[in-house]
Amino acid sequence: MQPSFEERSVWVQLFSVILVLGGYLVASARLMRAGITEIAPFVPLFSVAVVLLVVLLGVGHAVAAAMGKPEKTDERDRLIGWRAESSTSWLLATGVVGAIAAILLRGEPVWVAHILLASLFVSEVAKLVVQLVLYRRGV
Amino acid sequence: MAHPGQDPSTGIRNHIRRLRFEAGEMTQQRLAEAVGVSRQTLNAIEGGKYSPSLEVAFKIARAFGRPLEAVFEFSEVAGD
Repeated sequence: MQPSFEERSVWVQLFSVILVLGGYLVASARLMRAGITEIAPFVPLFSVAVVLLVVLLGVGHAVAAAMGKPEKTDERDRLIGWRAESSTSWLLATGVVGAIAAILLRGEPVWVAHILLASLFVSEVAKLVVQLVLYRRGV
Repeated sequence: MAHPGQDPSTGIRNHIRRLRFEAGEMTQQRLAEAVGVSRQTLNAIEGGKYSPSLEVAFKIARAFGRPLEAVFEFSEVAGD
């Protein structure tokens, strides 16, 4: 059976986030390894990543909609979203605590920002993967 | 071993497949539209992969013109 529009949307989000935000984090890690600790050089890179993410999500959802008439979100979609969110939100919380620890240890702002971004990336990818598992396995 | 149409986690079993057949082989799409869920969700309910809310369960029963207990039945899950 063809996946619902909501499930196709989750695939689009997963692909886009891994490609763009994952790519940004890899590029940032290289810059930091090269000794760059100022925030400024990361701003254009991050801006490009945000624009690319929006474009990719837009195109991806247009393709997903073209594959079949989009249905309205129903109670199963909402339940899957809530379960995935509640089982993975601790990852973002861990990143927030890590960022606070970095501030207390007088870490560079660039580190604090990227600890937060990395935890956002990990929690989002984990949430999307859990959603796909629940769509396939059942709730 | 769970029966087809039985959610093994809740012990809720349904007779949607048979009722669709008795309703002139009503399609999942038509039933899903009558109930207000996606065809995939209806498929998951019918296959016992998702137990619907009470509201959706009543809407399914109403679509068949049957009482709720003619569509869904509950049996204790081992260990409960």
